[in-house]
Amino acid sequence: MSESLPLLCETAEKLFRDLAERQAPFAAAWAEIEAAGFPLLLTPEVEGGFGGDWQDAFAVLRIAGAHALAAPLAEAIAAAHVSRRAGWAPRDGLTVIATSSAAAFVGDRFTGTVAAPWGRAATYVIARVSDRVVRLAVADAAITESANTAGDPRDALRFDGAAAEDAADDDIALWGALARTAQIAGALDAALSLSITYANERVQFGKPIGKFQAVQQSLAEFAEEAAAVNCAGRAAACAADCGDASMEIAAAKLRAGQAAAIGARVAHQVHGAIGFTHEHELHRYTTRLTSWRSEYGNERSWSAYLGAWAVQQGADGLWPAIVARADVQNGS
Amino acid sequence: MTPHIVVAGRLALRDARSVETFSIRPFRPPGDVAQLRRDVRAFLREHQPVGGAARRANCWAVGDSAFSRALGAAGYIGMIWPKAYGGHERHPLERYVVLEELLAAGAPVGMHWIADRQSGPLLLRYGTEAQRQTYLPAMARGELHACIGMSEPGAGSDLASVRTRGERTADGWRINGQKVWTTNAHNAHVMIALVRTSEGEKRQDGLTQFLIELDRPGVSVRPIVDLAGGHDFNEVFLDDVLIPDENRIGAEGAGWKQVTAELSLERSGPERYLSSYALLVELVRLAGGDADPTLKALIGRFTAELWCLRQMSLSTAAKLAAGEDPALEAAMVKDLGNSFEQEMPRVVQGALEHIDLAAPADLSRILSVLLLVAPSFSLRGGTREILRGIVARGLGLR
Ligand SMILES: Cc1cc2nc3c(=O)[nH]c(=O)nc-3n(C[C@H](O)[C@H](O)[C@H](O)COP(=O)(O)OP(=O)(O)OC[C@H]3O[C@@H](n4cnc5c(N)ncnc54)[C@H](O)[C@@H]3O)c2cc1C
Repeated sequence: MSESLPLLCETAEKLFRDLAERQAPFAAAWAEIEAAGFPLLLTPEVEGGFGGDWQDAFAVLRIAGAHALAAPLAEAIAAAHVSRRAGWAPRDGLTVIATSSAAAFVGDRFTGTVAAPWGRAATYVIARVSDRVVRLAVADAAITESANTAGDPRDALRFDGAAAEDAADDDIALWGALARTAQIAGALDAALSLSITYANERVQFGKPIGKFQAVQQSLAEFAEEAAAVNCAGRAAACAADCGDASMEIAAAKLRAGQAAAIGARVAHQVHGAIGFTHEHELHRYTTRLTSWRSEYGNERSWSAYLGAWAVQQGADGLWPAIVARADVQNGS
Repeated sequence: MTPHIVVAGRLALRDARSVETFSIRPFRPPGDVAQLRRDVRAFLREHQPVGGAARRANCWAVGDSAFSRALGAAGYIGMIWPKAYGGHERHPLERYVVLEELLAAGAPVGMHWIADRQSGPLLLRYGTEAQRQTYLPAMARGELHACIGMSEPGAGSDLASVRTRGERTADGWRINGQKVWTTNAHNAHVMIALVRTSEGEKRQDGLTQFLIELDRPGVSVRPIVDLAGGHDFNEVFLDDVLIPDENRIGAEGAGWKQVTAELSLERSGPERYLSSYALLVELVRLAGGDADPTLKALIGRFTAELWCLRQMSLSTAAKLAAGEDPALEAAMVKDLGNSFEQEMPRVVQGALEHIDLAAPADLSRILSVLLLVAPSFSLRGGTREILRGIVARGLGLR
């Protein structure tokens, strides 16, 4: 965690809130986000970045989620991280990591389709193909525009024998999953906060609905889910700063996916019909929660991954493995 | 980090957008943690618990006097108490490490659990010097066991409605009433009872805690057999039980405050999410020779939940060790943890092919026990609804 994290968070809080309130168009918003240096959060200072770690990135992306930031900051931070690990030179313009790809790599030519958040606005996209990671120029792709449940761009990029830089395997889904976990943590906290405020204000049967025990119990469950994601996500970020964090990130994203579904359900139930309108802001969080739950691995894929990991540790090795990793990550 | 302040179990919403419900503390026990774990595991290899696999399930409700004495002799009971009272002056987080190792191994820790977790610390905090000297060393040796006399027939969740009465006598107190669901009273030597000593302005006033030796005249312990056929809890009748004033714990009328502090200890430990861990172990063993993707995915889900709960529990333990009172966090971890321990056997029963609950295999034995006892997980130590009420209060809804 960097020394200047509080300042960083303050800047993020101000900028992301401001962008949301102004409903700034994407190009203008992204220019401000870049100017503030957020996409280079994990890039070392000597290379012109912020020199932060995953705990810093988690904190910033959590705030981005808490303001339902409609920009590919998570994807850009993860892309810069993967590029560095791959030994690729930094490039101007937006680079994002793909959410999935169906492609083949023949020689140094790439053919296939890559799903890219904000693909239409990106200059480069990083994808995983068989046991390599590749960086592709979006200019080489035919773009089919689409959108996620929140209306944020989710484009399909079709490459046909495109040139690509390639590097040894890196599980880009892991970095995407950690970033999404942070966003989910923030969006859950924001939706929870809206729900609590609403429950204290909305009066039915002569009292605020938050005084009804049924409502209280649902919101308590919601708060516990949000707490679980925040705790798991921070621990996974801390693990990522220590070395191999595949198990922790997989667990955190799995947990976040479950919580995203429960949180959105409770938030909408508490808000009644008003929360179902376009006018009310609740959907800005819940539609993104819905989308983020699927991206960079849903519960099915991460549970398969973790299950294989656990079985590999063996019945009597599972507990020792879980605690030994955490002991190292806690620095004890 | 975004601002968050938790004041006395209440969460302050500073910024509508950045409510944070669970502040995180790093878990850093002093010393060589890996060595401590090796030591506990070596102890467990040397003192292999007796009995079948089923005793590894919900193991902190399983008592074994010899095991507790051995554990005490090895310095693993009363770990954080002063040496002057037979303790070992270890760090609270070292104790946490030992507890979680014991629970993960399914060790039968039930005999001394309450003395170590609750009654000993209560005496240390509120007891007199004489009480500490009399009871703590034997508790730390794993020889003197305690039970909790809070619940009564008319006082469950609504603990402040206890009716057991204490009346002043010339040199002490006369206690009359009845306690119920008293875990391990049939093996314990002392009970710490919450007793009404006066009618206060508020219902919570006028309650006092007493240490009652269970061999005193007028005390009778009757077993209550649970639905699984086990005998863990009891009714305890108190008929004109005379005790000296030296048996009062803390100030007269301070019982409610003391009990509330005790509940934080009772709710925040690793036992609140590990009661069903033995089942996960057997599932992994089953999957070892089997590539069934459904089973593996299930194991993956449980592993994620276990890891996440452990992180929450570690953070809560770190707060407790730093002298804070994480009542809100403890309620959250206990509720989520209880749901996990309850869900695991239920889901496993529905997901496994050809599972014969009557089979002699370890998996069947453990699953059967857990299916039977799981309903109690979200009752003991505060029900799910009561815990969620605490959380709702923390959210500013009550
Ligand atoms: C295995 C086991 C061991 C135990 N060991 C001990 C022990 O050693 N010592 C001891 O003192 N006690 C012990 N208990 C008792 C335990 O603390 C109580 O069971 C618990 O506090 C609940 O009380 P009750 O059973 O009377 O249920 P009740 O309080 O009657 O509750 C019944 C149901 O009503 C709900 N309810 C009650 N009040 C409210 C409310 N205000 N709002 C919403 N819902 C509500 C509850 O959540 C629950 O679902 C033990 C219990 C079990 C199951």
